[in-house]
Amino acid sequence: MTSAAPNARYARRRSVNYVATALSVGAAVFGLTWLALILTVLVVKGVGGLSPAVFTEMTPPPGGAGGLLNPIVGSLILTVLAVAFGTPLGILAGTYMAEYGRYSKLTMVVRFINDILLSAPSIVVGLFVYEIMVAQVGHFSAWAGAVSLAIIVIPVVVRTTEDMLMLVPNTLREASAALGLPRWLVIRHVAYRAARAGITTGVLLAIARITGETAPLLFTALNNQFFSWNLNAPMASLPVVIFQFALSPYEDWQQLAWTGALLITATVLGLSILARMLASKRMPS
Amino acid sequence: MALQSVPIEVRVKQSEQRAKTLRRFRIGDRTFLVLTQGSAIAVLVILAGVIFSLVHGSLPAWRTFGFDFFTSQSWNPVTEKFGALPAIYGTLLTSVIAMLIGVPISIGIAIFLTEICPERLKRTIGIAIELLAGIPSIIYGIWGLFVFAPFLQTHLQPWLIDAFANVPVLNQLFAGPPYGIGLLTAGLILAIMVLPFITSITREVFDTVPPVLKEAAYGIGCTRWEVVRRVVIPFTRVGIIGGVMLGLGRALGETMAVTFVIGNAHRIVPSIMAPGTTISASIANEFTEATGDLYTASLIALGLILFFITFVVLAIARLMLMRIARKAGN
Amino acid sequence: MSLAIHTDVKEQAIAAATAEKLEEKVAVRRLDFYYGDYRALADNNFNLYKNTVTAFIGPSGCGKSTLLRILNRIYDLYPNQRAEGEVLIDGENILSPSQDVNLLRAKVGMVFQKPTPFPMTIYENIAFGIRLYEQLSKAELDARVEDSLRRGALWEEVKDKLDASGLSLSGGQQQRLCIARTVAIRPEVILLDEPCSALDPISTAKIEELIDVLKRDYTIAIVTHNMQQAARTSDYTAFMYLGELVEFDNTTQIFTNPRLERTQDYITGRFG
Repeated sequence: MTSAAPNARYARRRSVNYVATALSVGAAVFGLTWLALILTVLVVKGVGGLSPAVFTEMTPPPGGAGGLLNPIVGSLILTVLAVAFGTPLGILAGTYMAEYGRYSKLTMVVRFINDILLSAPSIVVGLFVYEIMVAQVGHFSAWAGAVSLAIIVIPVVVRTTEDMLMLVPNTLREASAALGLPRWLVIRHVAYRAARAGITTGVLLAIARITGETAPLLFTALNNQFFSWNLNAPMASLPVVIFQFALSPYEDWQQLAWTGALLITATVLGLSILARMLASKRMPS
Repeated sequence: MALQSVPIEVRVKQSEQRAKTLRRFRIGDRTFLVLTQGSAIAVLVILAGVIFSLVHGSLPAWRTFGFDFFTSQSWNPVTEKFGALPAIYGTLLTSVIAMLIGVPISIGIAIFLTEICPERLKRTIGIAIELLAGIPSIIYGIWGLFVFAPFLQTHLQPWLIDAFANVPVLNQLFAGPPYGIGLLTAGLILAIMVLPFITSITREVFDTVPPVLKEAAYGIGCTRWEVVRRVVIPFTRVGIIGGVMLGLGRALGETMAVTFVIGNAHRIVPSIMAPGTTISASIANEFTEATGDLYTASLIALGLILFFITFVVLAIARLMLMRIARKAGN
Repeated sequence: MSLAIHTDVKEQAIAAATAEKLEEKVAVRRLDFYYGDYRALADNNFNLYKNTVTAFIGPSGCGKSTLLRILNRIYDLYPNQRAEGEVLIDGENILSPSQDVNLLRAKVGMVFQKPTPFPMTIYENIAFGIRLYEQLSKAELDARVEDSLRRGALWEEVKDKLDASGLSLSGGQQQRLCIARTVAIRPEVILLDEPCSALDPISTAKIEELIDVLKRDYTIAIVTHNMQQAARTSDYTAFMYLGELVEFDNTTQIFTNPRLERTQDYITGRFG
């Protein structure tokens, strides 16, 4: 019996392995480099414009001094509304798919469609809401913006809710049903409680997702130079203001755009980290 | 101690109460079922609504241009002549560039994370790559406009123009002048955006390979690359393709990152470095200024085309990923 | 107390081997194994003799699979696992850092508990390994593949469907494919880690027959929780308990008249 002795063939295999490993490491370095580049530029350029004024003053006319108060508040309002509309619907739908209708045809179809909506172009969502809410009444509004963001929230919440509820072991459900509890109370007291952390994580991820969304707001909430609480009128939002200011030729507008970008990124990253911490704390039992 | 038997009045009251509770339970169940089922159906309604409103809103364009909409290159709001070809071309080209560059690198990163990376670093690097996925596309947009495009303009593009100047076909593809912004730039930014997405799906898919299968390959003396190439990748082939198609679906629909650097020219020229447009960029840039029903309808028609393309790509992707999920379950 | 046993065990083994004039193929000395800080194997000493079958038996968790996996350093894939001591194959310590692991695995093959055909055709499953080490013409390769499949007692069943996927075979056939794949690269030692535990009795019988034939050309170590299988197939048996190699002797001796009471208790089923 001969066994392989070190020879040219083996040497070639080893060098191929070495090259492949180097390329693989290179790919990782490549990816991380871009992350570092983008974040560094963002911080350097954004911090330059950071000041208390950013949070207290309205957006200025070109050449003037000002802040980002109205887009920040506008984004907060739109986000709160979107989450208020989208989360209950998403949780309820996810509940049906994991509980009442776990093996039904309807669930299979909804799951498939939901996953597609999850990755669908958000600008198309904007067009849809424009058609049903803006074109009908003839003006842009914060309501429309909130609805379009809600449509982006829903698939995320549906997905996480269904996944989290499916992780709850059936033995828990059976134990409470054996006590005579009806389906809906079993869900409320047992399933929701067990999946609470996971569902919250899903909501956080959805918020992170819509924090940076620009396209669906472009023709629903539009934009507003002034501070406004009026939900029936156009409302400023951070992403849209960044869009407008960055593409303008005015330097102070561009600076505000960078600062706004930094604020958005910090929020998104913060939410993601929070979601991750929540998710890891609760391991499925 | 003997147990007292429950007096009859108490027992009657108890059973009345019990009947009331059971009735309440039943109503609660009925209501909750309707609520949840209705919400699930609402998801389908949203999809139907999107399709219906897009079709309805774009009808004027279809009636006026018919099939020519797909083949015409003109885009003139004044004469009201609109054609989708430059936008479709731009959407496809930028996505193809993004995939050609992004997919090999993503798979490389996934291989690094699953097979090479030391345990201690794995979590941190994995999280870092996922943070890249969380950065909103508008950030890529302004970074692209102010940092990346100027960089390409001064460094990469002149080099490309010179390098291929004398090569027959390629000198048309890489023709100047170096604008900085353009289709290639948009494609490159999309590649960076799509990286973390495909990486994380490929990683998940790689993790479905049973360790004992890899051990068997190492057991006959395979090097790590041989194990990856001949065992891991063939085993997960369908899942990788699914992940790639999901990434493609994202790239096709991407708006903000592309809008800033695409150049907004409804033209098709041979050079891939020239300014162009994509469907989503056209809509984002022009919708609010569009005057006239035909202009608006044409933009909505573009939206319908985009939705159709992404729907098909995403559906195929999901089907493939469902197949590999089933395989892993076995 | 332990030291006394191990010196005894070594002496036993040497005595047994000298009696039959057998050659040491693998010599294990003072072998410890750790998962992180947890010591799973303590001071193991034994030999594997050329062209014999040595069975490793013992209750669950005694470390028999762990021990086997040291012999081809497959544990190297997992960073928190490490081995200390010496494992000499043909006189060379394979635990030394200068040992090339890939070449070791070309010499020491392993068949796992779960059949693991590669995602390739039956032909490719075998040819893949051969091609790693040798450049052969198509005719030569075909001959080698046939030879390996014959040694794996699988040729007759698959000769007409070499292009079928390895996964299309039954469990027993898949395991024989894995055995064929292992012998294809011409190792010298074959490690079998509970090769039949996932198989039906008929496939198990076929593989046991195979082991009897294979030992003419290879040195074999087999881990099994099935004592009857150990008694049927092996020449030497090692009884392990809680990470220590407690008794090592001719199989007949171990199963008819073991020296230690604990061995006797395990064999007669007093504990498992």
